[in-house]
Amino acid sequence: MISCKLIVENSLGIHVRPAGNIVNITGPAQSSVDLVYSGQRVNAKSILNLMMLVIVPGSEVEFVINGKDEQKVADELTELFKNKFYEDAS
Amino acid sequence: MKTPHKQDAKQRKMFVGKAASPGYVIAKAKRIARQRFTVSPIKIPKENTAVQIESFHKGIFQVKKEISNLRDLTLQMAGKEEAGIFDSHLMMLQDPSLIDSVISLIRNELWNAGYAFHLCMQKLIENFENSDGIFKERAQDLKDIYNRVFFHLNSEEHNFALQDETAEGVVLTGFSVGPNMLMNFGKGKVLGLAVDSGSATSHVSILARSMQIPAVMGLSNLSESVETDELLILDGTNGIIIINPDKNDIDKYKKQIKVFQNQKLELFTMRDLEPITMDGKYIRLNANIERFEEASEIVSFGATGVGLYRSEFLYFGRDTLPTRKEQAEAYRNVINQLDPLPVTIRTLDAGGDKMLSSLNMETEANPFMGWRSIRFCLDRKDIFKEQLKALIEAGDKGNLKIMFPMISGITELEKAKEIYNDCCAELSAEGLCVPKIELGAMIEIPGAVMIIEEIAKRVDFLSIGTNDLIQFTLAVDRSNGKIASMYEPHHPGVLRSIKMIVDAAHNAGIPVSVCGEMAADPLSTLLLMGLGVDEFSMVSWSIMECKKIIRSVNYDEARAISAEALKFSDAGSINNFLRKKYSQKIKSLGISSFITTQDFSSSDRALVRVDGEIERVEG
Repeated sequence: MISCKLIVENSLGIHVRPAGNIVNITGPAQSSVDLVYSGQRVNAKSILNLMMLVIVPGSEVEFVINGKDEQKVADELTELFKNKFYEDAS
Repeated sequence: MKTPHKQDAKQRKMFVGKAASPGYVIAKAKRIARQRFTVSPIKIPKENTAVQIESFHKGIFQVKKEISNLRDLTLQMAGKEEAGIFDSHLMMLQDPSLIDSVISLIRNELWNAGYAFHLCMQKLIENFENSDGIFKERAQDLKDIYNRVFFHLNSEEHNFALQDETAEGVVLTGFSVGPNMLMNFGKGKVLGLAVDSGSATSHVSILARSMQIPAVMGLSNLSESVETDELLILDGTNGIIIINPDKNDIDKYKKQIKVFQNQKLELFTMRDLEPITMDGKYIRLNANIERFEEASEIVSFGATGVGLYRSEFLYFGRDTLPTRKEQAEAYRNVINQLDPLPVTIRTLDAGGDKMLSSLNMETEANPFMGWRSIRFCLDRKDIFKEQLKALIEAGDKGNLKIMFPMISGITELEKAKEIYNDCCAELSAEGLCVPKIELGAMIEIPGAVMIIEEIAKRVDFLSIGTNDLIQFTLAVDRSNGKIASMYEPHHPGVLRSIKMIVDAAHNAGIPVSVCGEMAADPLSTLLLMGLGVDEFSMVSWSIMECKKIIRSVNYDEARAISAEALKFSDAGSINNFLRKKYSQKIKSLGISSFITTQDFSSSDRALVRVDGEIERVEG
């Protein structure tokens, strides 16, 4: 099991598209992936769950990943967050 | 009591569609609304949960296709950015926590699929609407998804609300009517089907024919023009619907109904006669069946055996796979009842449009060409072997033949036979005396036709599945209304393929049968018989009609006519030629069910006068 804490650094927070980006990584993964945010823990393979949390910019979120490909998932998520969901670059 | 004034105010309207199941009905319409559905909380019996969950998955799958199409279109017309919205729709649609909670409501609370979905979506939509800022607008996305899915569920679902309140027999009309919907009405409640979409080869049409319910499909917008309780005439023989018919129409069709019923009675005299041509050629006329309960029925229709037992129906509508014992019992039941008549059982043909809830099969982008049928069985040897062993056990008495569906080549065939031999060896080791059972291949794939000589050498019989063979040869999805008219059984490419198969079978000294819908069309029967097909398998009630035709022709003459027909280079000419040769004969026999090849072509349509008599002009 891996726990990885990441900061939401884009300007809009986790709205539909970033949530989609996350699910693109977590959905196909073999591992289970949960997201913990302000005391709530949800299945991070569910775009609806992610959206419902209304995660605002600057927040810290924690992913709890458990399974065969957990390291790969953690790396990809870290990369995604580091690049601010490829949004603010343009 | 009738209110003549009101009656007059209603306008007589006529629609022409595709004749899908013969017969005539005069009855009130029951319209299944496409939109503006109401949400009805209906508790379902526990044993229906699997069916409900399956229909929910199907709904999701349909909507997934719709949205994917929209996305592709948007991508072309607008751009990647705009198309992205549909990507997130697809993600929401397939959201695991949404799907899980709907399934749990069906399974644990016993809500029907539509209501379970409604409950989950309402909660989500509410949450989004009440949230601040950026997600407020997302509620609209969810509503869109909700509407789309709900429509699909509704079209499957409506019957649950309808079945009890429908007291008298009705003609069901709607944009689309699925087999489930038809089956969910009590027996005798549905007198006819008039459907906007679909064709004569849709599953629901096949079902309608086997239940002897007249049906007209492909009526484009009929369901928008008819109201529930309006009187209509349904002419399933010619593909005609008349809404609010006048007195002339009603008199005319009352006469027709009488004639049709007499014909049916007269046909029953055929039951005990041999299917033999005037010059003495015996043509086997077998029945297609789906359930073992049908076995007793087919004898009363004068069948010479079962040519196609669709074993997958044992696997449908349940959460677990049928056990070997269960299967063996079902097979034995049919085999023993019909002994000494032959019973050909097709091994599991799942996938395509026939999903099994017990197998957790994934939805595919191209299911007809996907992981289905023998392909599935060769991968899931555990399931395949259980079925083969059940068949071998059941085959110790009677006359069983086993048929492998969708064989595409030698490797597949050899593999299937090898697994069969393994099963024999294993059962033999268990002390069972293994009977000798004939093995056959079903030919449905053009590639298999090209190497048919090789296949014929390795089996005891061949069977042509014309529905799929035509679909694959002509690359026409028969359920797509826009191109359904291209699904032409008499396309020379199809006929020459069939001729190749027949010749290869006869060279190898084995019989060949045809077991698609084509077998039940009078013109096609004669054409195929003339090409050398030895056996036909069809819905049981078409058998007596076929017998009557076969008993009235010369085999040698039919051979000559078919040889002549093969020389034409297009389906239109072939059909005209066949009509010229056979129409008079078929008409004089009083055979009224012209299906498939007898759809109105566009030029025929012009001859149907909306105001007066309905005329049919043969080409």
